[in-house]
Amino acid sequence: MKEILDRITPKYDLQDVSIKDDLQAYVVVEKKLAIDMVTYMRDYEGFSHFVLMSCVDWIEDNKLQLLYLLNNPEKKCVIGIKVFIDRENPSMQSAHHLWKQIWTYQRELREAFGIDFPGSPRIEENFVLEGWTDKPHMLRDFDTNKYAEETYFPRTGRSTNDPATYMRQKLYPNQPVTAKKNKDDE
Amino acid sequence: MNIKDVFTPFTTWSKVVKDPVTIKNPIGREAAPRYRGFHKNDIDVCIGCGTCEAICENQAIDLVPVEGIETKSGDSGLRPRIDYGRCCWCALCVDICTTNSLNLTNEYTWVDTDPDAFIFTPGVDKKSWDTKEEGWKKPVPNYHFYGQTRVPMEELHAEERVESFVEFVKGYSKKQAEEEADRCVACGICTATCPAHMGIPDYIAAIRNEDMEEGMRILYDTNPLPEICGRICTHKCEDVCSVGVNGDPLSIRWLKRYIADQIPADVDKYNEILYTKDIKNNNKKVAIIGTGPSSLSSAYYLSLLGYKITMYEKLPQAGGMMRYGIPEYRLPYDAIDKDIDYIVSLGVDIKYNVTVGKDITLEQLHEENDAVFAGTGLHLGRSTRIPGSDHENVYQSVDLLRDIVTGAEVPVERKVVVIGGGNVAMDITRSMARLQKAKYGEVNIITTSLESEDIMPADREEVVEAREEGCTIIPGYGPQEVMIENGKVVGLRVWKCLSIFDENHNFNPKFDESDERVFEGDMVIESIGQGMDLSYLSEDTKKGLEFGPRGRVQTNDNFQTSLPWLFMGGDIIQGPDVIHGIANGHRAAMAIDDFLNQGR
Repeated sequence: MKEILDRITPKYDLQDVSIKDDLQAYVVVEKKLAIDMVTYMRDYEGFSHFVLMSCVDWIEDNKLQLLYLLNNPEKKCVIGIKVFIDRENPSMQSAHHLWKQIWTYQRELREAFGIDFPGSPRIEENFVLEGWTDKPHMLRDFDTNKYAEETYFPRTGRSTNDPATYMRQKLYPNQPVTAKKNKDDE
Repeated sequence: MNIKDVFTPFTTWSKVVKDPVTIKNPIGREAAPRYRGFHKNDIDVCIGCGTCEAICENQAIDLVPVEGIETKSGDSGLRPRIDYGRCCWCALCVDICTTNSLNLTNEYTWVDTDPDAFIFTPGVDKKSWDTKEEGWKKPVPNYHFYGQTRVPMEELHAEERVESFVEFVKGYSKKQAEEEADRCVACGICTATCPAHMGIPDYIAAIRNEDMEEGMRILYDTNPLPEICGRICTHKCEDVCSVGVNGDPLSIRWLKRYIADQIPADVDKYNEILYTKDIKNNNKKVAIIGTGPSSLSSAYYLSLLGYKITMYEKLPQAGGMMRYGIPEYRLPYDAIDKDIDYIVSLGVDIKYNVTVGKDITLEQLHEENDAVFAGTGLHLGRSTRIPGSDHENVYQSVDLLRDIVTGAEVPVERKVVVIGGGNVAMDITRSMARLQKAKYGEVNIITTSLESEDIMPADREEVVEAREEGCTIIPGYGPQEVMIENGKVVGLRVWKCLSIFDENHNFNPKFDESDERVFEGDMVIESIGQGMDLSYLSEDTKKGLEFGPRGRVQTNDNFQTSLPWLFMGGDIIQGPDVIHGIANGHRAAMAIDDFLNQGR
């Protein structure tokens, strides 16, 4: 794995290389070089098996991080190629021409994170969520609870108790309440 | 078409005689040992802390009361109920469970025509899988969602601390406090156990949020002595901390101290943070006898309501037992002053060196004020009354502790014997150790108590720290005689104590006379409890009061005596510790306000 990394690090100006063990490494590559690198790894470094593609929402940095995970069956090693893209109107060069199953991954990522992959077949079609009109549900600022409350009706017969409040009611209901001062009192 | 295409269909028929690889009837098939199926809960171990509910992303868990499970200190009495219409079997509820009572079994098949059957309370609603051992359990050890070990508190080493009365607990740094606060699961089980019912999870959250001013406001909601309590509170809250069930409990006391320590000793700053710059006077007056925790607490909360407070203190400084009973190495005077200075800044007038009953009568206070609160504490030492205990070299711990503070001359002999097993006994033991060290360069103290080691009333840490400082603690012996030779105290003769209370729970110690020891000592200090001095109650006043066992004045739950204008609290009514006093004072203050505004 180290030999491979030594070859590709200068070639793709890799910014962050993390070697987990002899058979597993992760690299961060610039967006404009990412698909070129994936292609190179497939055609010249023996990473012929596409394992998966995923995304992480780094909301604090206003970035989405795509991951292409590739496997070299001969050397039994795995490389994860990470690429950061803008979180606003996210778009990424399609890799559907490299492995056919990437069509499906890219459809899923478009639905879940709102990432466009121009030219990817059937990219406009719903993946799982038919008729979804809300913001992509895997973005961290999607409020699942709020969506559920607005969309579905609550199940009857459910109620809960906060332990501290319940204990107060049961054990010390007459606890004095301070004449609480607040800023407006001044 | 080639020949292969002709014969291929027939090769399939060869499988007919082979055993199938599929299972004929998959219903009832055992799942993998760590499969995540239906929940089970050991409801005797569960304390209803609700962390399972809090972590559930699907809101599948409710906390519900269960018949037969009592709500008590350390147990909310609630138990988790699961809605399988929402559960996704992620097992986060199991992984966060503070008691490890909640598990998932590997049972995954269950058919019922009633959809409501799929909401049930594991462990309460009996299920066939309740006895199954297989399933998902928290993979302990080394798999925790919160820290199991408390951030250690830096302290002076025993050899260094016995050299002086300097405070030896250093307090948390910002990093340490935030790391410790991060361990809190915010269940709030502790709040019920705290006598003042402080908003503990809320002020710990303020530390996480780096908002010390909000932390102070939360502290002062229920406790106007946070610098003091942050150091010497008996911290019963920590005994019931849910994180402590399978790890170290949160250092709640030290976190409270951390918040108070971050605010500078500047009463203007306090008034700004706590929004108390300009309190409107309500033209009513309350006199308070004593300046201990209950008195200061009632003074603070009454001041917030606009009452004009005058406090009467017979000693030269305020604080009561907090100043004159607790040694400086545990509670430095500047911490006491910081809390009291802020209360005084609200307009509270403290009249020092005034003894009610002597310099001014209780009746005068009643005439000049709308109500009176008395929190006069337990300042009288109790004697063992064993032979020789009337010798001049037999002392009371409360007297010596007070003398150390006032700067009066304190007799320090080369060999000292202390009688008592409570915190005050440890305070005098460790104080005398410091004085001996300064005078003789060595510590030579034996402290003995009726109680055996396992039931000594002193905080465990006090006993451990006293031993670290060179004191000898020998529990389980009852004093029989202060031995005197040629007019001088030479030691204490003791018998092994077999039991303290009789079958009727009355104090009636039994001794093994054959196990007799003599602890050598040139002076003996008795520290077996304190009594109250109610001499400020005139005979007429006493006639209007009700007295209970041991001459204790009876009050209602709001600390109002049978003389409606007179309220009493603190150690003379309930305790003895600072936090009970604070809680008493708070409740009494609210009750005084009710009484004066509603004529009750």
